[in-house]
Amino acid sequence: MGGVELLQFALAGLKNGAIYALVALGFTIVYASTGVINFAQGEFYMLGGMLSVWAYADLGLPLPLAAVVGVMTTAVVGAVFELLAIRPRKDGNPLALIIITVGGSMVLSSSARHLFGPLERALPSFSGTGTVSILGAALEIQSIWILGLTALAVASLWYLYNRTSLGRAMRACAVDRNAARLVGIDTRRVVTVSFLLAAALGALAGLAVTPLTQTAFNVGPSVGIKGFAAAILGGLGNPIAAVAGGLVLGMLESMSIAFISSTYKDAIALIVLLSVLFWRPQGLFGRSGREKV
Amino acid sequence: MRERIDMRLVVAAVLGLTVVAAVAGLPFFTSERYILRVFTFAGVNVIIITGMALLFGYAGQVSLGHAAFFGVGAYASAFVVTQLGWPWIGGVIVAIVLTATGGLLLALPSLRLKGHYLAMATLAFGEIMRVVFTEARTVTGGPDGLSGIPYPSLGPLAFDSASASYWLVWAVAGITLLLAANLVRSRAGRAMRALHGSELGATACGIDITGIKVRVFVISASFAGLAGALYAHVVGFISPSTFSLHVSVLLVAMAVLGGTSSLLGPVIAAVLLTLIPFSDAVIPGLSRSALETIQEWQEDIYGLTIIAVMIFMPGGIGGLLRRIGTGRSAER
Amino acid sequence: MSLLQVRDVTRRFGGLVAVDDVSFDVHEGQIKAIIGPNGAGKTTLFNVVTAFDRPDGGTVTFDGVDLTGSRPHRIVSSGIARTFQNTQLFDEMTARENVMAGAHAVTKAGFLATALRLPWTVREEREVAKEAGRLIRLVGLDEWEDVPAADMPHGLRRLLEIARALASRPRMLLLDEPAAGLNTAETTALGEALYRIRDEGATIVIVEHDMGLVMEVSDEIVVLDQGRKIAEGPPRLIQKDPSVIAAYLGEEDVDEL
Repeated sequence: MGGVELLQFALAGLKNGAIYALVALGFTIVYASTGVINFAQGEFYMLGGMLSVWAYADLGLPLPLAAVVGVMTTAVVGAVFELLAIRPRKDGNPLALIIITVGGSMVLSSSARHLFGPLERALPSFSGTGTVSILGAALEIQSIWILGLTALAVASLWYLYNRTSLGRAMRACAVDRNAARLVGIDTRRVVTVSFLLAAALGALAGLAVTPLTQTAFNVGPSVGIKGFAAAILGGLGNPIAAVAGGLVLGMLESMSIAFISSTYKDAIALIVLLSVLFWRPQGLFGRSGREKV
Repeated sequence: MRERIDMRLVVAAVLGLTVVAAVAGLPFFTSERYILRVFTFAGVNVIIITGMALLFGYAGQVSLGHAAFFGVGAYASAFVVTQLGWPWIGGVIVAIVLTATGGLLLALPSLRLKGHYLAMATLAFGEIMRVVFTEARTVTGGPDGLSGIPYPSLGPLAFDSASASYWLVWAVAGITLLLAANLVRSRAGRAMRALHGSELGATACGIDITGIKVRVFVISASFAGLAGALYAHVVGFISPSTFSLHVSVLLVAMAVLGGTSSLLGPVIAAVLLTLIPFSDAVIPGLSRSALETIQEWQEDIYGLTIIAVMIFMPGGIGGLLRRIGTGRSAER
Repeated sequence: MSLLQVRDVTRRFGGLVAVDDVSFDVHEGQIKAIIGPNGAGKTTLFNVVTAFDRPDGGTVTFDGVDLTGSRPHRIVSSGIARTFQNTQLFDEMTARENVMAGAHAVTKAGFLATALRLPWTVREEREVAKEAGRLIRLVGLDEWEDVPAADMPHGLRRLLEIARALASRPRMLLLDEPAAGLNTAETTALGEALYRIRDEGATIVIVEHDMGLVMEVSDEIVVLDQGRKIAEGPPRLIQKDPSVIAAYLGEEDVDEL
């Protein structure tokens, strides 16, 4: 295989990795504040794309505005989901909450089908359909948007976590929820905000990728699982590691297509997921000392 | 006190016999293939849900990949019967052995870890199997699936009519339920309920909690495999969509609605939720459009059921039945 | 030789030394108490002895067998049963079922045998139920046999947990603060139950705050302070020991000593 071809695969891996990273960040943020794996995370990705398409094609808004509407509405959906379905389960039993998010995932995808129909929908590229050439390999301009938006999201998140009181409260909750409550942090608000942020990040990924792949009401679960694999690969609970996990996973997938075959490319993420769960549950970048029963 | 317990037993026995008679007698009341078919599906789901009830309701674990075990059983049995010419019972045995082994390999590493890892591992397993079912064309027929799978038969006895396969499925369901009922009322069942109640307390009683969870998971996986071996032959056609994540989630909905520490609750839930998209089989005169509306909204019904039960009645139907049975006004 | 030998046991949590080089023996038929101010390391020591926690150094030997590094559920079969400071009952199960679950280690019926309802499993089940009834009467819970543990008052739950521990026919019973939260009458009942249990042949180790109960029932006392053993001996000597009094100074329990 030539160097240019390899670079082509690497660029594709980077682009997919950035998407996985955004979804993985959503998992990580919710997990950090609740101890819950949010199964509906993939649905936020789906809603980001679908709602943007709706705002653009059905409402006729200009693309930038439609994109903002899509992401913001999904963020609100995430917060409302937390208020209606997560918060009422008072004991916070993680297994029960995980099951609730499984139900929520079904309801969200089904609602999208009721509202926007069963067909695939598309969005135009943000700035032209052309490609740029990098050392001979072609990169779609939309992919540059994806990488840029991911970088922007990570930077904003870093700012939020390190420079704001809300971010400090979220970090405190991630370390020890009970202690955070004792020092007067409104942990319930932190949980709601976590869902809001997770939904916004998922929506951003779904929005950015729709011009390349189209979207539909049922795309959530498969992306959700990959994002989760990325989060686990990085080590649940650490945002930076989640991003790294996403990029590594994207690369792994791309390289497996390059060197093995594309038949089982969808299984790569899952095999990675199982391998990490079995052999290194704290993730590649997590601290050792696994949580035993 | 003593007399009231006896009365309860009598009531339970009469109710139980009535239900058994009604289930067994259904083919005498209707000869409509469609109705029998729908209730045969319900029976298949009852077999799977019996294992899920042990896993979720007694051992407190959740699996998001049981449709995959169901599928492994179905494809394995269909393969050895159609390609290797084995008798059906051989397919059943292969299905059970394969799913039990798969369950063991999946459960051993993930159950050493805390709560949600099993859910994640089973989810990944389910999706991997979906890819395998679709891509391993020589064995599975790819996305189009396998058709022309012969009816189940035991020696000269062929279950080649709608009523015969109905009886076969429900007889097997009855046996699995009986085995599970024996299990939960014994030392092993107490151990399951104990570890659900308090893992520390159970350990102090000498209960190997990981060992018990692994065993329960293996049982539930092999029940799903058994159900698959029945389904493939009773229906005669299988394809990947029958064993998707969607079906795994539907099974979770049945287990959740069925409730904890109960077999009867999950059985009722399995039958109810199976019937939803086939409501016209139980409601005579249901209009075509009404049925379509129900089918249109079934996903929402399943999803909302899961959420509502987890929030408002975590004990599910089983908890409800217990409250009626013991006359306690509230769970606690 | 003594039944339980604890030798040089040390347990650290980060920089904190919770148990610091502690050694003591428990002899067959004794009631031995472990006391000490809050944070003295009593419960940690208890968890090490029952293999719920691993020591960073030292050994625990029971009846000549080294238990260090055992898995906790195996400890029961070697003849050690325990209770918890926060009762760990099975709330959904009745008192009798709780005690029957306690017999897990001394019964055999496995998954396959019980699913098939083999005759010997039915016999075993009957015997376990009968023995559970006897133990429930031994701790004085006759009227609560069919009541779910969740519906029992706090004090009685502690007694039920003791009955459950007894169901494994232990040679040694470890009780972690059995009198916590009990009123005077319940504490008296507990003391009586402890004597009955010892008379049946069990050795008892008890971690306890209630000095009245400790002085009343124990044959020997080990005093811990900040993880170290500062005294060991019969109650009368411990009460006069200056280092013990010093350790308790400022603690409310000092009046009761």
